[in-house]
Amino acid sequence: MEYNPVILQGQHTSDDEILARTPLDAKALGGDSSEIIMELLQRFKVRDVMKRQVISIPRKATLRDAQRLMRDNRISGLPVSENGRLYGIVSVNDIINGLDGCWMDEACESHMAKNLVVLEAGMPLAFALRYFNNYTYGRFPVLDSDRKLVGIVSQRDVMRALLYELSVEIRKLERKTSPKGDQVRQEAKENFFRKEWAVVHNDLSRAGHAANAIKGILRERKIDRTIVRRVAVAAYELEINICIHSHGGVIVLLISDDKITITAKDRGPGIPDIEWACRDGTSTANDWIRSMGFGAGMGLSNSKRVADEFTIQSEVGKFTKVVCVYNIPHAQQAAEGGAQA
Amino acid sequence: MTITDVVKILDGKLIAGDASSPRVVGAVVANDLMSDVLLNDADDILLLTSLASDQSIRTAHIVGAMGVVIHNAKPLSETMIKVANDLAIPLVSSPLSKYDACVRLHDAFVAEERA
Amino acid sequence: MNAREIAEKTGGALAVGSGDEVASCVYVGDLLSDVMGHAGEDCALVTIQNHLNTIAVCTLVGCQVIVLCHDRPVPPDMAEGAAREEVAIVTTPLSQYEVALALSSLPPSKK
Repeated sequence: MEYNPVILQGQHTSDDEILARTPLDAKALGGDSSEIIMELLQRFKVRDVMKRQVISIPRKATLRDAQRLMRDNRISGLPVSENGRLYGIVSVNDIINGLDGCWMDEACESHMAKNLVVLEAGMPLAFALRYFNNYTYGRFPVLDSDRKLVGIVSQRDVMRALLYELSVEIRKLERKTSPKGDQVRQEAKENFFRKEWAVVHNDLSRAGHAANAIKGILRERKIDRTIVRRVAVAAYELEINICIHSHGGVIVLLISDDKITITAKDRGPGIPDIEWACRDGTSTANDWIRSMGFGAGMGLSNSKRVADEFTIQSEVGKFTKVVCVYNIPHAQQAAEGGAQA
Repeated sequence: MTITDVVKILDGKLIAGDASSPRVVGAVVANDLMSDVLLNDADDILLLTSLASDQSIRTAHIVGAMGVVIHNAKPLSETMIKVANDLAIPLVSSPLSKYDACVRLHDAFVAEERA
Repeated sequence: MNAREIAEKTGGALAVGSGDEVASCVYVGDLLSDVMGHAGEDCALVTIQNHLNTIAVCTLVGCQVIVLCHDRPVPPDMAEGAAREEVAIVTTPLSQYEVALALSSLPPSKK
């Protein structure tokens, strides 16, 4: 019986999947490389470099079918999948064992590797590199947010994409160096103080900046320690949220006579089910976010817990806006000018 | 138990911050997920973590922690050390695992109480 | 020490497993890459990472017992994965620090 390759998605691309075993030293890339590479590794996602043409085989197909398919397409790892759902992978090793043990006519599902490590399409390349480094597999299947198999990525795919983008970036840099403006706006009038910080999507190296600055400003104004901590916790959680979930946004601090307000507003993708998102322990975060120490599903519930008033609005595909309000007790205001109470 | 005591107990090195800080450990929090740390209401937290990034320092600053210990002798980036110095958070590197550190710190607390 | 004893010592409950799964050392960690790199065989993994991938990491490092802190819920896919891979899950109200002290008769995990 012959199996036709199942093409899951995307157009035909030339295949150079063949045993891409060039070791890529992620440490060398992560440690001493220039900022451009780091920026590219964050900006580019697995979906940008993966091969979208996935040749796969159904569970009941025999190892011999798999071997034929691998030989004809010159690939060394074959996903076992049906209707986009990934069940396992048959590797060259499984074929060798099959030949050795004379079970080539048995079904793939009984000999494939089932405990799979997969990448998610939305993960930054930086994260994919860590996977190649940690697990020593030559390739990873890629799943989308619905857990459907949408591609396969090898170290070689990553390398090729990086080298290409690097040359583009260098050409751009040669033409101009873009100045990074001060992205902080500040307004201080008689009865209120307002300051805002831009939060860049995926730039976790800077996330927390606004919250740390806010804590400093509130301390300087001699606001009560416990209030400062509560404001800072919400500012930090909301800043991280913008950084990892949105396409970028702002954190705004507003101090008036009797209230402190933190507003976090971002552009897209919005929250479809706000009640669910505010519940403790619910998260849409992926491994990359978790590896950064976030994504435990506590950001919104944490912010809500520490605020006196908490409101959230969101429109799917457009924005999310969270406002945390804190009341400053009157005794506190009196102390503001003088010694701390 | 001051940050200098912590360094001794955990066979560590003080990488950033003031060794002469008079603050003492009020609570030990061993955690790598920063939201979980932010949930904590204790004062003078000593944060034990394997998260060798700016975020552990920033989180420590938000909760007013008295120090941060990074375990398994993980390499610390220059920016992380700079953030720790800027935010005045003592940063300790220890070769021990978090588990080992928890047990040793606890033993030291018990000894401190007896003394 | 088996999973049942670990549940007792940590004031917790056995959420998945027979209770006979064994741990001979302890590793405390919430970052899966860190656990991959440092946790040794037969360790009890003390974590708040209630996620299916935690099971994958356990099977890779050879850990049979997960202690989930702060009463974090076990999602259904994680419970299924644990049952399939014969990894026990103990849930406890304690923090990682408190669990470490409760299990302190076991040595640290070496790798």
